[in-house]
Amino acid sequence: MVKELKFLTSLWKTNLAAAMEYRVAFISQSIGMILNDGVYFLIWIIFFDRFKDIRGWQLTDMFMVFGISAGAYGLSGMLFGNAFNLADIIVNGRLDYYLSLPRPTLLHVLASQASPSGFGDFLYGFISYFASGQFSPDGFGRFILGLILATVVFVSFLVIVQSLTFWLGTGGALTGIAINAMVTFALYPITLFNNTAKLILFIVVPAAFMGAVPAGFVRSFSWSSIGLMILAAAGFLALALLLFQLGLRRYESGSAIQVEV
Amino acid sequence: MQQFTRRKRGGARTKKYLAIFKINLLNSLAYPAEVATRSGMILIFMAVFFQLWQVTFSASGSQVLNGLTLHDTMWYLLLAETLELGRPRLARLISQQVKDGSIAYLLNKPYDFLLYQLASGLGESLPRMGILFILGGTLVWSMAGAPPALQNWPLAMIALVGAWLLHFCVNGLIGLAAFVAEEVAPFEWIYQKLVFILGGMLIPLDFYPSWLQTVAKSLPFAYMMYGPARLFVRSDMQLFVQILAGQVLWLAIIGGLLGLAFARGMRRLAINGG
Repeated sequence: MVKELKFLTSLWKTNLAAAMEYRVAFISQSIGMILNDGVYFLIWIIFFDRFKDIRGWQLTDMFMVFGISAGAYGLSGMLFGNAFNLADIIVNGRLDYYLSLPRPTLLHVLASQASPSGFGDFLYGFISYFASGQFSPDGFGRFILGLILATVVFVSFLVIVQSLTFWLGTGGALTGIAINAMVTFALYPITLFNNTAKLILFIVVPAAFMGAVPAGFVRSFSWSSIGLMILAAAGFLALALLLFQLGLRRYESGSAIQVEV
Repeated sequence: MQQFTRRKRGGARTKKYLAIFKINLLNSLAYPAEVATRSGMILIFMAVFFQLWQVTFSASGSQVLNGLTLHDTMWYLLLAETLELGRPRLARLISQQVKDGSIAYLLNKPYDFLLYQLASGLGESLPRMGILFILGGTLVWSMAGAPPALQNWPLAMIALVGAWLLHFCVNGLIGLAAFVAEEVAPFEWIYQKLVFILGGMLIPLDFYPSWLQTVAKSLPFAYMMYGPARLFVRSDMQLFVQILAGQVLWLAIIGGLLGLAFARGMRRLAINGG
């Protein structure tokens, strides 16, 4: 475990060093993403200025949901950037490189790339949390915990969806839909949806764990919320690991010569 | 005789771009299942929008908000989403061509680079927009009711062409920015979000405070999204003339800038063998 953690740390250090090689691109993408998120949030400011309340949800709730969702999306991109490209890696036979090395394959693949714009999303998450006007030291602690658990659920969900590529043979379109579904549902007030839709948002597309549930937990501590989040993170992570391992048995190398930089 | 030769040359030129359009159209249709799966995103968006606006209309206790019903709002959003998801991601493509040098392979061919992008982008975009509209329209029909009256369609379609061309010009400008900027993705993200807000893509401009409506309508974004979507749900000749005039004006300005940017970019371009 310690060995894998050291390995992960050195991968992240390498990614950071690689990003710093193209400092201007890194900074412009990070700042661009913060602006992008901020401009996007204006929609909700305009909406709540006109309609005030959606079944008990107000603008401050949206700040909190954006804080968790953008932060978790950014953290996933920063630490496990290849979670967004796993389907392409499988389809193009690029797993060969990782399989030939004596390290946990999934961990190695996921952490081998960092998205520079992820840093912008991550920072925006904090900006949105502070802008919600609900800062408190213990609330901030809950925000960090919620962010980490939401990241685990999101990355696990991406791995689950893209592991289907082992069986389907293609997965690019499905990945796009999965990412869009998670982000779209996570960024809208959960009170909009009826019970069936809510059940889907907890089990099939676990967007509730990337938005509403952690946001509620940040607002006020409850054992049921933290229990539910830990259960979801553990469950989705276990399913992701299982599906990826089962899928690997079906993986066929294309014997293509690849260069991983 | 001279006039005849010129007309003949003009015809050949049109044929060339028509052929490029046709090739890209067929290319897009080669994998219909893949296109349909990718287009499935519109179902998610429309389902969420319906929930949001149904709750909002019901909470307001009114059938009509700022001149739009729930039915109007949903069909408005469908057309806006169709345009947004169906337009080609030209900025990314052109900037990649500039950065990796593959632009050189397009420049030495007997066609105009920008017209080539226009024809190929249209060929790629048209089937995608068609599939998006059919998929999303089926869902919206089942949730909010039948499509708007047929008499609204022609004016909306004309405005849709203008909106598509405006998107093309702005995307082309962003793509060509790769001649001077290392990374153009942030420009693209922010442009997209400006269209979301000032174009009225997620909330019809009619619901905005009046000062913001004035600001939005004096910028090009409203003509890229709000114009065709609004005409689709409420046909209004006066609004059509306003939108068309705005589109022509902004096309002249942004199209002119695109031509200038391309000419300047060509002067900066250095191609090294290969």
